[in-house]
Amino acid sequence: MSVAQVANLSAEAISIEERSPFQIVMMRFRRHRLAMVSLILMIFIFTITVFAPVIAPFQVQELSVNKYFVAWGTVDEATGRVHHMGTDHIGRDYFSRLIYAGRISLTVALISVIISETIGIVIGAVSGFFGGWIDSVLMRFVEFMLTIPTLPLLLIISAMLLRDENLIPIPESILTFMGNLLLLTPRDARSAVLIILILAGFGWLNAAQLMRGMVLSLREQTFVEASRSLGASNFRIITRDMIPNAMAPIIVDASLGLAGYIVGEAALAFLGFGIQDPIPTWGNMLAASQQFMLDRPWLPLVPGLPIFICSLAFNYIGDGLRDALDPRLKL
Amino acid sequence: MTAFFIRRIFQMIIVVLVSAIASYALLNLAPGGPLAGLRQQQQNARFQINEDDIARIRAYFELDLYLPYRFTRWLIGVPRGPIVIGGQEYFSDLTIGCRKPIETETLNQKTGEYESRITGCKEYVQLKDLEGRRTSRGILLGDFGLSWRILRDRPVSDLLLSRLPKTLQLIGLSTLLSLLIGIPLGVYSAVKQYSRFDYIFTTLAFMGSAMPTFFFGIVMIILFSLVPKEAGLPYIPAGLSESVRDYTIPIIGAVEAGSFKDRFLHILLPAAVLTIVNISLYSRFVRASMLEVMRQDYVRTARAKGLTERIVILKHALRNALIPFITIVVFTLPGLFSGAIITESIFAWPGMGRLYLLALGDYDYPVAMSIFFILAVLTVIATLLRDFLYTLADPRIRLS
Repeated sequence: MSVAQVANLSAEAISIEERSPFQIVMMRFRRHRLAMVSLILMIFIFTITVFAPVIAPFQVQELSVNKYFVAWGTVDEATGRVHHMGTDHIGRDYFSRLIYAGRISLTVALISVIISETIGIVIGAVSGFFGGWIDSVLMRFVEFMLTIPTLPLLLIISAMLLRDENLIPIPESILTFMGNLLLLTPRDARSAVLIILILAGFGWLNAAQLMRGMVLSLREQTFVEASRSLGASNFRIITRDMIPNAMAPIIVDASLGLAGYIVGEAALAFLGFGIQDPIPTWGNMLAASQQFMLDRPWLPLVPGLPIFICSLAFNYIGDGLRDALDPRLKL
Repeated sequence: MTAFFIRRIFQMIIVVLVSAIASYALLNLAPGGPLAGLRQQQQNARFQINEDDIARIRAYFELDLYLPYRFTRWLIGVPRGPIVIGGQEYFSDLTIGCRKPIETETLNQKTGEYESRITGCKEYVQLKDLEGRRTSRGILLGDFGLSWRILRDRPVSDLLLSRLPKTLQLIGLSTLLSLLIGIPLGVYSAVKQYSRFDYIFTTLAFMGSAMPTFFFGIVMIILFSLVPKEAGLPYIPAGLSESVRDYTIPIIGAVEAGSFKDRFLHILLPAAVLTIVNISLYSRFVRASMLEVMRQDYVRTARAKGLTERIVILKHALRNALIPFITIVVFTLPGLFSGAIITESIFAWPGMGRLYLLALGDYDYPVAMSIFFILAVLTVIATLLRDFLYTLADPRIRLS
């Protein structure tokens, strides 16, 4: 009787509120106030761009003849629609273009991150897990690529790829898919796909190094040994034991990578080697606005601020995630 | 150690060769080139361009040679003609290119467009034809060939040398300033960790490193050039490295075009942009490194010995905290040459970065290739220099 009572009591005393790892991370993430604000802001911006066709009052390419640089909030008499941010130098609605541009810029950055982190995870895991000459060849290559100045290289490659339509054949299905995603014709989506390939093609290096480091330390852990003694295959060990446990730095890297890709895509477009004008992106809108800066000094802030805000927000989110996932982590 | 450096130099040579091949291949496979647009001219009634003209132009740009020969001529300046041994010419009939390719137009069923494709060759180029042709000494020996577009038929090296001083001025000044300001800021912030200064500083540095340069540059132009100018306040001129004509700035007074004052005013904004961006990177780096060193045992020992805080920080901590900084300082070397592409293009600064952009936009491949190649070589040299300096600075690092 008494024994049972004691057992009951202790079980009651020990039982505490259970929290999943995700909840713990979320709890710690919420403490980083700026990261939380950034996250909410980014979700807001993403939502706007997802509903771009609903929110934007005008079509992307729609021209209002003879209404160049009209003031903010001008009403279009014929249809009653409002130019919330006025029009640009050839009479296209600035606000609508800004939203569509955001959709393109953010989608390009997001897909680039997904591709580059996947490449990084695979190459890093293979390199760290198998070691030997595979590891040394891959890592030498990564180190070499990391020392090359990125921007000149990106410029050369995009100069080459964007000018020749036939240099890299891209399957029609991918172009159609991207076109639907970005609300472009498949032909216009081509440049976006190329920019994604270029950005992701040089963006996976960091993730590969991180992944390799994690795999090297995980390889010595006892749970991997246990897996192996239970007869797990290499593939199973990598996919079930290594990758889930190495996700923390990868997630942080992905968040910082998003910031980098948004700036990178905008920089290429700004310099004239990215997605070109009829298709709006924040970068080429900024480049276009620079030409009219003498008369309208505040114009470049309109496409420029979103780039800065997104870059800053993803940096803060990355910072917050780093604190939340593993405070000791250094990136 | 010696063996290590011999091996590294050997690796370096391979990397230089590979980057030469890569940059050459990249820019030769790229579309456009000096022949772009010739066919449009051909249809003009007044300027008929016939086959011989095209062959002559192709020969002028060496486009009539096969890629491997074109590459070796570009790289080391061979072959220059038949090999002569003891008065006897060898290989003079070796075919090395095609002077007049046969082009056939085929209808692409899928796109419905006519595509011209090279299907044969009417007249071949042989090794003996190379005699008397203009030859470069090869890019490895410092001859970068002639420019195609920007300064047509002038040596690329002239173009590079005319741009280099401007880039050295801008990058040199901003790197120097950012090191001089960034390191003390980072140290102070680390020493006063969690203070109000540290909080404000880290926030600003964080924002600075997230700030895209192109946006920052434009904001600086708006704030310090356009808006004050409109308001009649003293402003800083933006664009180019010196003014074309004399101008007057309120309060500062008349400025003569090309004078020292003029050039100083023009370098202010681009240098400020680069300096501020670099400060935020450098000082964050120094701060992190300093915080780590301050936790080390030898710093505690130094304090326990009764040394003053000043000596502990400056002599024991800072010197060790700056060792990882070698990487950053050494890698400014390639930047000193290649310039800052984005900042130079915003401020129309006539430096190397802008030249590179111009060359890529104008299909001037020899110029773009040369800049990229020199940049790659300088990067490799910087890597080697970094490893060497690390062993000097930190005897614990042993290279093998």
